[in-house]
Amino acid sequence: MAYVLGIPLMLVLAILQSAVFSHVRLIAGQADLVLLAVVAWGLTGRWREAMVLGLVGGASLDLLSALPLGISSLALVLIAYVVSVTEGRLWGAHLLTPLGVVLATSLAFSVFTLVGSLIAGAAVDLPGAASRIILTGLFLNLLLAIPAAQLASAVQRLLFPPQVEIA
Amino acid sequence: MKPPSSRSLVAGILTLVSLALLVLSLSGFLESLQGLALRPVAAAQEWIAVRAATLRNLLAAPGDVVTLRQQNAELQAEVARLQREVITLREQAAEAEILGGLLNYARSKPESRYLAANVIGRDVSPYLRSIWIGSGTDDGIARGMPVVTERGLVGRVVEAFPTAARVQLIIDPQAAVNVRLQDSRADGVTVAQPNGELRMDQINQGVDVAAGELVLTSGLGGGFPADIIVGQVASVRTRDYELFQQAVLQPGVDFENLEIVLVIASFQPLPAEAGGT
Repeated sequence: MAYVLGIPLMLVLAILQSAVFSHVRLIAGQADLVLLAVVAWGLTGRWREAMVLGLVGGASLDLLSALPLGISSLALVLIAYVVSVTEGRLWGAHLLTPLGVVLATSLAFSVFTLVGSLIAGAAVDLPGAASRIILTGLFLNLLLAIPAAQLASAVQRLLFPPQVEIA
Repeated sequence: MKPPSSRSLVAGILTLVSLALLVLSLSGFLESLQGLALRPVAAAQEWIAVRAATLRNLLAAPGDVVTLRQQNAELQAEVARLQREVITLREQAAEAEILGGLLNYARSKPESRYLAANVIGRDVSPYLRSIWIGSGTDDGIARGMPVVTERGLVGRVVEAFPTAARVQLIIDPQAAVNVRLQDSRADGVTVAQPNGELRMDQINQGVDVAAGELVLTSGLGGGFPADIIVGQVASVRTRDYELFQQAVLQPGVDFENLEIVLVIASFQPLPAEAGGT
């Protein structure tokens, strides 16, 4: 069920990122919707789905970009793997935990995007990119981190209600 | 030896799939597959982009919308209906205005054949300045074709798929356009900076360049037709010890608010220009 909903959702998020959120920019940075979705789902402990969604979401992003196909997939699969190591325990540990995870994963994703753009031949002014794109994008991701994590948690409870065994 | 956990195994397999995609993509084997995949995606992207533009226009509409909402309860339903109508008409008027401008431009240069295309998205990477248009090879668009609006040069088609195409903007640092100053007739090349600034480089030291002077495509190199407006000189930088002068340009086109563009379909770029950037 998670794949039936998640795979089209990844595609829709990538399209929204290209068609809508490219106009909602803070200086030059923008929120990474697909990254947020993958991280949020990974934080619920559904690691296998998070990794597959990372692959699909990354491919969708690359399809709508001049980046070589596979670079964002690679980044998001690895990010989902690292997030999954927590087995969902981090989310339960503290309400603000997603902020730390999103901070770290956003930075990692920015590095991958930067490398992908360099592979695609982009000329990147690193200090400018750090202040105008990466930091502002990070800020937007942090703003959306908690709502995304709470939404993912609610969807997870809806789709996979906890099983209680009555003896 | 401890066997890898199922989590690591899945991650390993998916990483290998990603790497395979990356290698195949860099080798150019996935182009036809990308074209196939983009067909439904471009349609969805266009649908969303049109509605998002309508919503943006609604949010940017003047305060009379708020005033109308404050009318008495009896009139509210009527106001809401009128509002919807107004928004639709505004949208149509804005589109008609854009199309009118584009039509005037096309009429002023009847020697070229133009294809109008909706802008349906932007590159998701903030480091690459390109846009997606909702027309592709099915409509006669090919790689290398110049893209313009009535306000000037937008860029060039660098990837063409059946239902969509990617246009590299002239403010992308990889793009270079041979240009000419309208009054002083000096040639040069545009160089976009990573921060989005557009400069004209390689202007001879002896040339007297004035702020406000128009910059047009020169047609040299065969990448673009001649005499398309690129922008205006905003400031000039001259240093005695340098071979050339540089000018900072104010592009004619507002790249943040592109909705409809014209592709010059009759222009045949030289093969090297069509393939390169």
